[in-house]
Amino acid sequence: MVSSESTAETAYLGAEIAQALTADRPLHSDQTPSQWVKNNLFSSVLNTAITVVSAAFAGAILYFGIRWAINVEWEIVRANLRNFMIGQFPKDELWRPWAGGLTLVAAVGLGSAGMARTSFDDATEKGLPAERPTWTALLRRFWPILAFIFLVLTFTRTIQPTLGVLAGLGLFVAGRLIGWQLPSGIRRFSPHIIGVGLVALSTIVAGSGGLVALLGGLVGALILATAIGDSIDRTSATGTVVALALPLLGGAVVWFVMSTIDSFGYGWKDWGGLYLTLFVTVAGISTGMPLGILLAIGRRSQLPIIKGFCVTFIEFVRGVPLISLLFFSGFMLPLLFPPAATIPDGTTRAMIVITLFSAAYIAEIVRGGLQAVPKGQTEAAQAQGLSAGKIQRLIVMPQALRAVIPAMVGQFISLFKDTSLLAIIGVAEFLQIATIANTQQEFLGKGLQPVTYAFVAVGYWAFAYTMSKESRRLETRLGVGTR
Amino acid sequence: MLERLLRLILILAILAGIYIAVWSARRSAKGSAGGPPPWRDTKVLIIAAQVAALGVILSVGDYLWANFRARTDEIGLELNFDFLDQPSGISIADSPLDPNSSIQNALIAGVKNTFLIFIVGIPLAVLLGTLIGIARLSTNWLLTKIATVYVEFFRNIPTLLVIVFTWQALLLGFPREQDSWLIRGSSTAADSGPPSLEGLFIFNNKRFAFPSIGGGENFGAFQVVFLVAVVAAVAMWVWRTRNFDATGTPHRRVLWSFATLLVISVIGYFVLGGPFSISRPMIEQRIASGGVKMQMPYVAVMFGLVLYTASHIAEIVRGSIMSVPKGQVEAGNALALSGFQRYRFVVLPQAFRVAFPPLINQFLNYTKNTSLAIAVGFAETTGVIQNLFGQSRPAPQLLLILMLIYLAFSLILSAIGNLINRRLQIVGR
Repeated sequence: MVSSESTAETAYLGAEIAQALTADRPLHSDQTPSQWVKNNLFSSVLNTAITVVSAAFAGAILYFGIRWAINVEWEIVRANLRNFMIGQFPKDELWRPWAGGLTLVAAVGLGSAGMARTSFDDATEKGLPAERPTWTALLRRFWPILAFIFLVLTFTRTIQPTLGVLAGLGLFVAGRLIGWQLPSGIRRFSPHIIGVGLVALSTIVAGSGGLVALLGGLVGALILATAIGDSIDRTSATGTVVALALPLLGGAVVWFVMSTIDSFGYGWKDWGGLYLTLFVTVAGISTGMPLGILLAIGRRSQLPIIKGFCVTFIEFVRGVPLISLLFFSGFMLPLLFPPAATIPDGTTRAMIVITLFSAAYIAEIVRGGLQAVPKGQTEAAQAQGLSAGKIQRLIVMPQALRAVIPAMVGQFISLFKDTSLLAIIGVAEFLQIATIANTQQEFLGKGLQPVTYAFVAVGYWAFAYTMSKESRRLETRLGVGTR
Repeated sequence: MLERLLRLILILAILAGIYIAVWSARRSAKGSAGGPPPWRDTKVLIIAAQVAALGVILSVGDYLWANFRARTDEIGLELNFDFLDQPSGISIADSPLDPNSSIQNALIAGVKNTFLIFIVGIPLAVLLGTLIGIARLSTNWLLTKIATVYVEFFRNIPTLLVIVFTWQALLLGFPREQDSWLIRGSSTAADSGPPSLEGLFIFNNKRFAFPSIGGGENFGAFQVVFLVAVVAAVAMWVWRTRNFDATGTPHRRVLWSFATLLVISVIGYFVLGGPFSISRPMIEQRIASGGVKMQMPYVAVMFGLVLYTASHIAEIVRGSIMSVPKGQVEAGNALALSGFQRYRFVVLPQAFRVAFPPLINQFLNYTKNTSLAIAVGFAETTGVIQNLFGQSRPAPQLLLILMLIYLAFSLILSAIGNLINRRLQIVGR
């Protein structure tokens, strides 16, 4: 693990700590299986009774559940599989989501491996115990999603989806392998590779105009900002101006180029199913994040008017149910556009409301993080003569945001589940497809609702459970609450 | 929009210009600078920032309001609350209201139904959640695994899905009205439409019905007697506790106060000559009377919410019990407390203090989630208002009422929570 001679001493310290940590753990259990059964299941009369009752309960549920799953007619899922995945997307254009998805998968493979390598090298250099991520570890982390994909494949009637998934897996593996070997200069841009993948997916599916161009511009600006961040001297006034202006200019150029290129695609009016659900969640969190951070800073402001506005907004949005906000998007938002303007469609309006909704919740999470940063940090920064903006940007925010990453993943899960409410206002997201399938001529009135709901439940569960495991993993890795 | 903003910026710039002019005039009159220039003076900057913020907020608000007025004028929408007295045109199941009663009354019925989901569901959710939370800490491997699977399953699927799933499962799991499960009852088939049902308990996929207490003669007087009994029981509880604190004799306050309650009530019952009797539920065609009747949508939404909320409460309970330092249990052990006593007097009081704030949070979530009942067609606040939207009633006002009702629910609940929480927390240091 020692990377060079100069870090030998720290490496030694790190190894010692690592050894001390593992020393407490027994290497293997010295219980025999029968002892284990006796200790954990039949240690007392009460314990035996509990075991018998729970075994009967679990056995009954398993028996009836499996019997139901075997006997029930799954044809409704098979017939509607494409609806469940992507809704009423034009059938002849399905190559778009496939090609976009494969691009994204490859980009995620590259980017995640790059980030893992960077943190691995970091840890090694500091002499901390670091583990190379193994394929088994990845499998253990993401098995629910893989299992769900496998379940979906068992419902397919043609070979193409299976081939597509296999190609995706291949691309992901290749991306991981290449990403691990990338030179560190390129590896710095690992998060941006994922961003570019997202832009590529959106461009392939929805064409290059409008919001996609805006997304491209943002990613472009971000990449430029990171790229020139270290190379430009920010102490001089011109340096600061250049460092701020160049990314904006670059982003604008990307946006302009993308919106002028004439490429055609299908916007979210034509999307549906799981794809729309995932998109709304990712978009809701990423658009709500900047707004939420601003609201959180505003809420901690000492200026009563700004603070009052932020508090009112946050508490109002958090105090009413999401469904009433969705009603707002349906009945009230159209009345707020100027009389000459055309009113955007229902999904867009729902997206506006979901952005505001997640901003209010993110604001409270970020506020928690800001409160966790000791006051001494701000005071020390002030003593160094940093400006108020720099204190927030360089000292407070990095610490605050790092502390709230697990909570943010939690908010992601909760928004993912909450998007199911779009079904009530008739947006064809994942849950709504189940309702639509049950009103089709050939399945109407056959009592197949539990079948479709069970399928949808497995889908939601696979993603939410994986995310919640990731959140717990991040919590232990970042040591939130223990330092 | 742009024009308004430009105008605003212009006004602000003029104001700033006037201020700077006054400042420089005063400086040249006095000769030397008295304090920093205005663009570096924090006092001035704070006010300027707030004026600018207020200006932006007001101008955006004004812009939206102008659009709103233009649009509402265009479709001829009146912005007042007079419509609340008009007939609602909607009927609410198992409620005396007919479509001719006013919108106001329909809304009140909706709020009552929301409250019914809340008041019955919360204790059930806390009970189930506590049991599962404790089960997750059990030494029994199988029980722990079952509880873990429960929690991880319900925490990771949408609330709405739990509700609609429960709804469908109940609809399919219980018989139609013709084949109702009756306990000590009878069913008379009708020529057309649903049959007439009568019995102590009625279960079918339309509703669950239970017997209840129905008032007879002197029922009002008995209610007074019962109130007196409750007061006496509370007094007995306080007296036994004080006695225990003073002398150390076992208080047995549960036994004593329940005995008081029972004795006074029973005496009252006989003195007043049987003031109440059991009321049996009866369903004739579509009209239900007597007993307690729960419509299927109500049962579905309540059970769905209870199953979902319990999984969150279980995690809170588990976390709070684990947060009690191990030394506390060991100290209890050293004092020769039994396992139950250790839990009852050492662990749980401390755990409760930790669990209370997140618990209140869950109650708030539960309150907001009751609005999901519209997915199964139960007429609570949101459902009533959605029906009214369908009758093309003025949406902005209805939306305002809807949001204010839930805000009021949330605010009252969190106010009570904060009040209790302040008493719970350790004071000192």
